[in-house]
Amino acid sequence: MSRFFTAIALATCLFWLLLNAPVSAGEKDVVEYRHVETLLRRHCYRCHNDSKQEGGLNLTRRQAVFGQADSLESIVVPGKPKASLLIARVSDHDYGDIMPLDAAALKPQQIQTLSDWIATGATWPESAEPAIHWAYQPVSHPNVPAIGSSGNAIDAFIQQKLTKANLQPSSQLPPALWLRRVSLALTGLPPTLEELDQFENDSSAEARERAVDRLLSSPRFGERWAVPWLDLARYADSNGFQADQLRDSWAFRDWVIKSMNADQPFDQFVIEQLAGDMLPEATVEQKIATGFHRTVTCNVEAGVHPEQNRVNQVFDRVNTTGTAFLGTTLECAQCHDHKYDPIDQEDYYRLFACFNNTPLEVKNTAGVTWDFYGPAMDLPLPAEKERTRRQLQRQIAAIEQERDELKQKQLAGYQSWLDSLAAAPEESLWQPLIPEHVSTEGQEQIRVLDDGSVLLTGPVPDKAFYTALLPLPAGTITAIKLETLTHDELPGRGPGRGDPVRNNFVLHDVQATQRFGNEPDQPVPFLRAFADFSQSRWDVSGLIDNDPKSGWAIAPQFSQDHWAVLVLSQPLQSNGSTSLQVTLDQHFGSGRNIGRFRLSAFLGSPEQLELPEEIRQLVQMKDRNKKQEDELREFYLSQDSGLARLDKRIRQLEKQLKAVQPDTTLVMIEMDEPRETHILERGEYLHPAEPVEPGLPKIFGDPDALDPPNRLGLARWIASEQNPLLARVTVNRWWTELFGQGLVKTLEDFGTQGEPPTHPELLDWLAAELMENGWSRKQLLKTIVLSNVFGQSAAATPELLKRDPANELFARGPRFRMKAEMVRDNALAISGLLSDKMHGPPVMPYQPEGLWRSIGRNQPKWKMETDEDRFRRGIYIIWKRDAPYPSLMNFDAPDRTACVAQRPRTNTPLQALTLLNDPAFGEMSLGLAVRMLQADGSSDEARLREGFRLCTSREPVERELQVLRRLLTQERQLVASQPELIKQRMSLKQPGFPLNWDNDRELAIWFAIANALLNLDETMTQG
Amino acid sequence: MNALHPFMNNPLTRRYLLQQSGYGLGAVALSELLSGESNAADNPLAPRLGTHRPAAKHVIYIHLVGAPSHLDLFDYKPELQKRSGELCPDEFFEGKQLAFIRKQPTLMGTPNEDKFAFQRCGQSGMEISNLLPHLQGVADDITVLKTVTTEQFNHAPAQLFLLSGFGRFGRPSIGSWVTYGLGSENQNLPGFVVLITGQVLGAGGSAWGSGFLPTVYQGVEFRSKGDPVLYLSNPPGVPSTSRSNIIDAVNQLNQVQLADVADPEIETRIRQYEMAYRMQTSVPELMDLSGETEATHQMYGTEPGKESFANNCLLARRLVERGVRFVQLFDEGWDMHGNVFNGLPRKCKQVDQPIAALIKDLKQRGLLDDTLVVWSSEFGRTPMAQGQNGTGKKTAAGRDHHKEAFSMWMAGGGIRGGHVHGETDELGYGPVTNPVTVHDLNATILHQLGVDHERLTFRYQGRQFRLTDIFGNVVKDILA
Repeated sequence: MSRFFTAIALATCLFWLLLNAPVSAGEKDVVEYRHVETLLRRHCYRCHNDSKQEGGLNLTRRQAVFGQADSLESIVVPGKPKASLLIARVSDHDYGDIMPLDAAALKPQQIQTLSDWIATGATWPESAEPAIHWAYQPVSHPNVPAIGSSGNAIDAFIQQKLTKANLQPSSQLPPALWLRRVSLALTGLPPTLEELDQFENDSSAEARERAVDRLLSSPRFGERWAVPWLDLARYADSNGFQADQLRDSWAFRDWVIKSMNADQPFDQFVIEQLAGDMLPEATVEQKIATGFHRTVTCNVEAGVHPEQNRVNQVFDRVNTTGTAFLGTTLECAQCHDHKYDPIDQEDYYRLFACFNNTPLEVKNTAGVTWDFYGPAMDLPLPAEKERTRRQLQRQIAAIEQERDELKQKQLAGYQSWLDSLAAAPEESLWQPLIPEHVSTEGQEQIRVLDDGSVLLTGPVPDKAFYTALLPLPAGTITAIKLETLTHDELPGRGPGRGDPVRNNFVLHDVQATQRFGNEPDQPVPFLRAFADFSQSRWDVSGLIDNDPKSGWAIAPQFSQDHWAVLVLSQPLQSNGSTSLQVTLDQHFGSGRNIGRFRLSAFLGSPEQLELPEEIRQLVQMKDRNKKQEDELREFYLSQDSGLARLDKRIRQLEKQLKAVQPDTTLVMIEMDEPRETHILERGEYLHPAEPVEPGLPKIFGDPDALDPPNRLGLARWIASEQNPLLARVTVNRWWTELFGQGLVKTLEDFGTQGEPPTHPELLDWLAAELMENGWSRKQLLKTIVLSNVFGQSAAATPELLKRDPANELFARGPRFRMKAEMVRDNALAISGLLSDKMHGPPVMPYQPEGLWRSIGRNQPKWKMETDEDRFRRGIYIIWKRDAPYPSLMNFDAPDRTACVAQRPRTNTPLQALTLLNDPAFGEMSLGLAVRMLQADGSSDEARLREGFRLCTSREPVERELQVLRRLLTQERQLVASQPELIKQRMSLKQPGFPLNWDNDRELAIWFAIANALLNLDETMTQG
Repeated sequence: MNALHPFMNNPLTRRYLLQQSGYGLGAVALSELLSGESNAADNPLAPRLGTHRPAAKHVIYIHLVGAPSHLDLFDYKPELQKRSGELCPDEFFEGKQLAFIRKQPTLMGTPNEDKFAFQRCGQSGMEISNLLPHLQGVADDITVLKTVTTEQFNHAPAQLFLLSGFGRFGRPSIGSWVTYGLGSENQNLPGFVVLITGQVLGAGGSAWGSGFLPTVYQGVEFRSKGDPVLYLSNPPGVPSTSRSNIIDAVNQLNQVQLADVADPEIETRIRQYEMAYRMQTSVPELMDLSGETEATHQMYGTEPGKESFANNCLLARRLVERGVRFVQLFDEGWDMHGNVFNGLPRKCKQVDQPIAALIKDLKQRGLLDDTLVVWSSEFGRTPMAQGQNGTGKKTAAGRDHHKEAFSMWMAGGGIRGGHVHGETDELGYGPVTNPVTVHDLNATILHQLGVDHERLTFRYQGRQFRLTDIFGNVVKDILA
């Protein structure tokens, strides 16, 4: 703790030294109020403004600032910083807690500015209309300063500030390192050795420009530049929330890559993503572009309220639109008027109204089960597949029509069917058959009981064959029923006779013949059989299949009554003097014979037999509602074999259709009936207040200027030159991608609380260039990377580190750790494994087991790719929001649940562990080892040089070679003493490893060198 | 000069400590200003002081994922038992947001069986269910809050709200805020460690994510299967000597580069590779429970090498013992829409003994005084019965999600022992006295750690963000 005490004491002394340094107006330039206003606005206004005056203090009004505080001390005394409470409160503990209370203290130079302002007279223009914040002013096209130095316009702007600070730019990088920097910046991949050789040998003046043109036209360009855009678009392949099911919107990711590769004008790029669906004659591509706002998370857990989910999604769309295109934080105005930026609640909900006409995105599919829903669009199919699909669709439509016609015809008989069913319930249509004669082949005693059932007692033969002759009642008989019944005299009450506990029977075969007078017996064939219960593998259908081995049995439902119904193939007409002879063949053995049975005849229509219970109940109901009536009618129709045949055919065709189903992607669509939008009190969807129309925030101009007044009008305004923010925000982001930091450091916020630009003229010049050159991304990037400021060496001198530690003046070149995807892509390229396959569904490279394990239904499973898909660029890796690819996460990739303008750039032990130990990087180390072994010359030296150059684009210095040679010696000895390591290291090759080297021992040794090289700070750095 | 400075006499003035704490850029700028070298600035996990003297230095935050039925564990309602089976009052149902229940439900009390009975425990006589017999034994160490309320009634949003103060994605979790504010005392382990039994909760990694804070503050999951930390162990064929040779080579090569370009990031990277190497020893050592005494294993019900909640409780103690700032345990399986009176005893049996053991163990080691233990869930459960599962099938009765009032408890870290805060109505529907919002709860946790929740801020998108948004009052009543 004492270190901290010392620290604070020193700090305080320093502040006082600064403040008490003798200052006179003569020595200091007069500090203008606008500089002070910027500071006050950013650090003080949030608690000391017109509406909130903590401690009774308002720092936004001249009168108040030059007045007294509650303590009667003067807040600002012109000329006397020491007597001004303002200074004391931000620097001296003795006056109470240092302001601001809720954030970091002001920096010494900021306090100095305030102090200088007071010392130099505390000017405050009487007429001080609050100035329009710089970012909302129109973009100017500043003149390029005439500096007279070499380089392009950008260099002139940078040089202007350097000269003021009395600093010199650093020297230009050697060609190879310049090529590496620009290759990584534009394509996210390092130059190949051939590209390096060629470039180093090209001494022409256009060498750099040629290289830049080549890189800009590479398909790799879009893959690299899409990454930061997809962070803004919060693109992912899953819904987020519980279960986090996968969704298809990768076509949007591909659209971004293609659009960037084609250098689609940035204004069009913006319009199509916001409202491509609403453009006249919108193309498929323009609709895919609207996936930008369908990437929002969606909750489908059981208790979701769809409207709440939808409103949350619209909030996300509004807020993301603000951050991505306007660099403006809108979110606060969701609940209340925006405290610091001039956006009020009405402004917010007018924007909200632009996005408020899309349908719900969750759907109730069963009970409390909800599914992800909302508009998706089919992606175009290859011509052949498309033809097949159309053909199938036509066939299906034709059969459906046929079915509908047949249905109408069949429905004519519906009422009479219903009446007949209602008149005669099934039970009343069964008539027991009293046997006239029963015989067996054994010695059993046979008794016919009062209810017509036959009981067999006495000796139990091993097998049995019963014959019963049964007079039939008059009428049309369509089925017979065999009941196997229990009885007290049977072992364990039966129905089987063979065992008191397991009293099963096995009935193999039932045959029936019809007997009428003296005519020859006629066989009575059966159509089908069903039973109350069948033992597994002894299904009742075995009774009538003419297979002597199959049959019907009832284990384990012993000691219970059972029944089987056998439907006749043809209805049997009986005039009252017809009999039926039925035989029951039971040859299983061990007395598995029936102990008591009864036969009945059915005098109704066969379909009545199988009426499901609910239909039976519906038939008997007096008053049916529409739903019940529909159910009955559907059931009636389903009984029709003609319709069933057509349905079956349709199902077959639909199955074929599924095989040629196009992929889909999520898109925005506008509902025909626009929703009415209200301001939502406290942002709660259940509390609508005044209605509002779609419109612009007032700060940007006429709120009613949107043409048309909807999402499309908004998109067009955003991408127009009336909007000063889009171009500024955009060029600042591109600058950041190239230099590692922005001209405005707060990429996500150009409002009054954001950082002001370090080079405002340069920012505006870049913005104006972008707009004036048809919003061409490639052209502007080309200008920037061809500047000297981009080509400078990144090496820092002690003086530079002291005078400009954060490199805000750009007196040296950029040097920063690569983005997560680039760390991977770079290593894949170096190892020779990188696949250049583009587009399509996301891929699953290696990841440790057990990472996908969220709660909920329809859990997707991780399945590692075993072909080149394993080695595709990071942008194609599946992005599951609750468990994104861990090695990307360790390098600061966001989880893509919300819009992110700037990834953090951390430096952690987990990153070291990832690059050292992740088996995916292990495989890459093997790849690099193969490449080193393949080097020309095949000496250790040549191999080490090759590997080093692959990783850094430069030759190693002697000291570096020494280190590597020592590691090589150590590893040679280690592998010699532990040869089992060879096989273990080879096990890092996953299925489908594409490179070969026939000497495993050498490969294992060089693996370690590769592992070290891939872990170098320089390897993972854009420098 | 030092000794004479006024606040040396009162070292815990808020102002002084705030400036030490490194919130925002203040401390970074300060230390750079002072020393020209920037240790604290380079190490975002260096321990820092808060805004006032802390009662607790560590947190063990247990989250029962899915939400246990608090009415059957902590908030005993005889009247609910009496009226069990009656249709619930209209106001419990009409116009209310319920996740599953769609028809006016019946009230459902705790079963009138010994197994489910409540006991008066400890000196305070607080009531705890017989389902938690071990916890009954440490009742005098805990404060039960019976009136916690939340705003969200679906799992993932409610988890996000509880753990990040915001019902949607994008904000830092409480563990990240704490680690950002206070750093950590052990530089060989992450400052914020997550231990999980069962599936991962609906909020996913955002439950321990860092939102807009730097990613160094996100929780690191220590897993019981495979590598405890992802990529911790060397790949096959790389023994420790080889790993050490490779890291030496990497660091020497990085030194060459550092000498050439003088980028301080390279220096940091060299240190991180050294730290990674140390973690390869320190983490397995931490995860290895075999050195614990038999008595300890008996007390927790732990078995070395097993994946269990009990093991995670013991690991939690080992982590805070080593100075880790924030340990979060997630245990999944408490979402009982059906068959609650079967499921609850089963789950309680898994957690009761180890949680009580954790409290006793911390106490006997003198760690409970500065370790805050929290039992939490994303919401509570309805006093009304739910008789259907997710697909509409009838099931044995369970309870639906309930946001109006539910129970949590805290122990240690300057929290009163044997205390009950707040009271719900006779049917356990809503608070009658002392409601505690999620923001109040988070403000209180930060307060115990010596951090004023209104002053732990991070500027993002032009705004000073807080864990507690613009709300939150410290629940003073529960402080010792």
